[in-house]
Amino acid sequence: MLEQSLDYFLADKQGAVLSDTLITEACQTLRTNREEYLVQIGNETIISKLVEAASLWLSPDYELRKMALAADPETTGFPREVLAAGLDACFSEWTQENFFGLLGQEFGDATRLQSFGSLSSHSLAMVHGPQLIAHVAPGNLPVPVFQSIAFGLLLRSAQFVKCASGKSLLPRLFGHTLHYVDPGLASALEIAEWDGGNETLEGELYKEADCVVATGSDKTVGAIRGRLPLGKRFVGYGHRVSLGYVEQLANEVMGTQTIINRAAHDVVAWNQQGCLSPHVIYVEEFGNLKPERFAEMLAEELAARSETIPRGELSTKEAGAIANMRRFYKIRSANNVGAILWESEDSTEWTVVQEDEKQFQNSPLNRFVFVKPIEHLDELMHILEPYRESISTVGIAASEAKLREFALKLGAWGVPRVCPLGKMQRPPLAWRHDGRPALGDLIRWTDLETIQ
Amino acid sequence: MTSLSTLTDACEAVMTFISRGNESPPAVEFNQLALGLFGFQFTQNEAYANLCQSEKRTPDTVTRWEEIPAVPTRAFKSFDITVLPEADRQTVFRSSGTTHSNRSRHHHNPATLSVYKASLWSWFNEHMVDEAVGRLLFLFPKPSEAPESSLCQMMGAVAKHLAKREHFFAADALWRIDRQATIDFLHDATTQNEPATVLGTAFSFVHLLDFMEAENVELRLPAGSAAMETGGYKGRSREVTKPELHRAIVERLGILPERILCEYGMCELSSQAYDGKLGQANPAPRLFRFPPWARACVVSPETLDEVAPGQAGLLEITDLANVGSALCVLTEDLAKRHEDGFELLGRAKLAESRGCSLMNLNHARAITGLFPG
Repeated sequence: MLEQSLDYFLADKQGAVLSDTLITEACQTLRTNREEYLVQIGNETIISKLVEAASLWLSPDYELRKMALAADPETTGFPREVLAAGLDACFSEWTQENFFGLLGQEFGDATRLQSFGSLSSHSLAMVHGPQLIAHVAPGNLPVPVFQSIAFGLLLRSAQFVKCASGKSLLPRLFGHTLHYVDPGLASALEIAEWDGGNETLEGELYKEADCVVATGSDKTVGAIRGRLPLGKRFVGYGHRVSLGYVEQLANEVMGTQTIINRAAHDVVAWNQQGCLSPHVIYVEEFGNLKPERFAEMLAEELAARSETIPRGELSTKEAGAIANMRRFYKIRSANNVGAILWESEDSTEWTVVQEDEKQFQNSPLNRFVFVKPIEHLDELMHILEPYRESISTVGIAASEAKLREFALKLGAWGVPRVCPLGKMQRPPLAWRHDGRPALGDLIRWTDLETIQ
Repeated sequence: MTSLSTLTDACEAVMTFISRGNESPPAVEFNQLALGLFGFQFTQNEAYANLCQSEKRTPDTVTRWEEIPAVPTRAFKSFDITVLPEADRQTVFRSSGTTHSNRSRHHHNPATLSVYKASLWSWFNEHMVDEAVGRLLFLFPKPSEAPESSLCQMMGAVAKHLAKREHFFAADALWRIDRQATIDFLHDATTQNEPATVLGTAFSFVHLLDFMEAENVELRLPAGSAAMETGGYKGRSREVTKPELHRAIVERLGILPERILCEYGMCELSSQAYDGKLGQANPAPRLFRFPPWARACVVSPETLDEVAPGQAGLLEITDLANVGSALCVLTEDLAKRHEDGFELLGRAKLAESRGCSLMNLNHARAITGLFPG
């Protein structure tokens, strides 16, 4: 039996009719509650509560985690095993050290959230979070929502999280955990769901909020930005794509099977639904590990993983996209025109396509990955030119020295995140989403210049 | 199985089948002819034969038409899916798209073109022509101005068959409608009390109806008038839902809802499906039906086997009129299977809607490149 009732947020109330008045009232309550509690407490308290919430979610026996894992994959978007692995990866990053590290990274000194800081008498400065943040949550992954809520709390901001219809379960459950560990934290948080584009509700929400954070398709993010008055703080995260890269000596550094395991890990994590998941893995063609052999081994590994961490069912639309793409590569494969297809039998569970054509290509996702040859990193950057603005992460299999060398080049070219292959969907807590500061875009600084 | 060794034999056999019109031939005949065509295409098209061999489904092993390997529409973009030698490809139909590389190509010679025309006319005549049909307004370029659009060629064939009726091709080579001339044509039909049939793509209807709204024009076309609307927007106009579009056709043109029909076709096929028939009540849900010489299967994307009635999947068409290309085509359209037809549900797109994975430009065009052109 659950110790707590799950009736607290707007999204908990089945069939509740939302109105602009209701949104206004909710926002006003959030502001009041923030004043009464959130702005009064210290970093240590907030962080310890967040760490406590995370440790609950990491426990296999935790009721709300069990509820999340038992939920219909239609609701969460993921089968049990995929969701469990994703939750573990997320919450294991939520440590006291990492949270303080984040504040240090963003503000130089964590105390600047509470005072003018003391690092240097010549640069006294304090940061202020927005009073009320409106989050427009992405429909694909729950993790960015959990993280956004945690960041909002660190900034002492009241928060209104707007989820897509039918997509609020995981944010709600997480909200209830906060309510359990500290009702004061949850009192400055509201979670609601409705179909995006409801101008009445959204208009009211955006009017009330000091800052709007939106994650979604370019179209959604663009539409929201277009509706905000000039001067309203807005942070938007639109479309991004990611890719893997295997350097030619990587197999001598870490062994071929390790590279394969790591690549498979990135393909399986969140079923490639996030923008950090690889669409294509490029393999340097003049090494010992040939792209074709890499693809074949990756296919074997994906087949093995489908036993331990099955992908789950897809909508007809998603499966249809895979089936079509496969059929196309099947005819190419049969005609020996520079493409080979490996696929699961009688299902769309996993697909690997090795293709000589080097052009970057979008995968239909859900464990469908392209493997392509590449001569060297410079050639890759040349090929990626049309997507320069749209790359999120490059996951690299190489020695530490090569990784650093490549990161210098890729960074200068415009890639915001370079990481080892196998870690693509596991960014650290303090990572800079799309190259933007994790908290810095949300806050306002006050500089104090003293007489002395 | 009917043994077909030459294109002439194959075309003749299919023409005979088509000439029986709506009369439904026994399933065994469809199967025999399908297997015969499969055998013919297998021997004449290497790219296709390689696919069949890789799946171990060849004329030696396949005994039912449902087992014939399907060619995905996308393959028409990068392979010449044709039995015609290069010198014999006088006509090519292409799907819409911005560059040649992302447009499907369907080759024809005079013989296969005759089959195409016989197929389209027979089923068009069955559904879109009744005693009331008067003038014809094509919201299309003249066939001579769009020689690679199968849809324009189809309209040209229809105009020829109905040559006694007054007709007008309202668009230029870039598919821009001469809106004033169109209104004048319709206005004249109204004053002369002659019914008119308006045929166009969804985006052309939107162009026309938006113009009429802006100019505050409302016509009441005479009784017996009708509309045929077909495929897609291709970013050429704002997108409106089908009910909304049909409502606007009713309101602005005065055409009765039961006389607004949808056609489903594409350049990779030689037959079309309609979701109703003039002179009938055509109640919802409107189901599409192909002629007896083309069969639609809704297949599971997981297994590519046919789904149970009521289930959704990808639409696969076995079109005997595709004599010179590939008779079995896997489309990118999602459909729901009904006992006596199918309901279109949309496109099997890349998973763009679920968050922040980019739809790259080239790719987006390639996968949405299906246009009944």
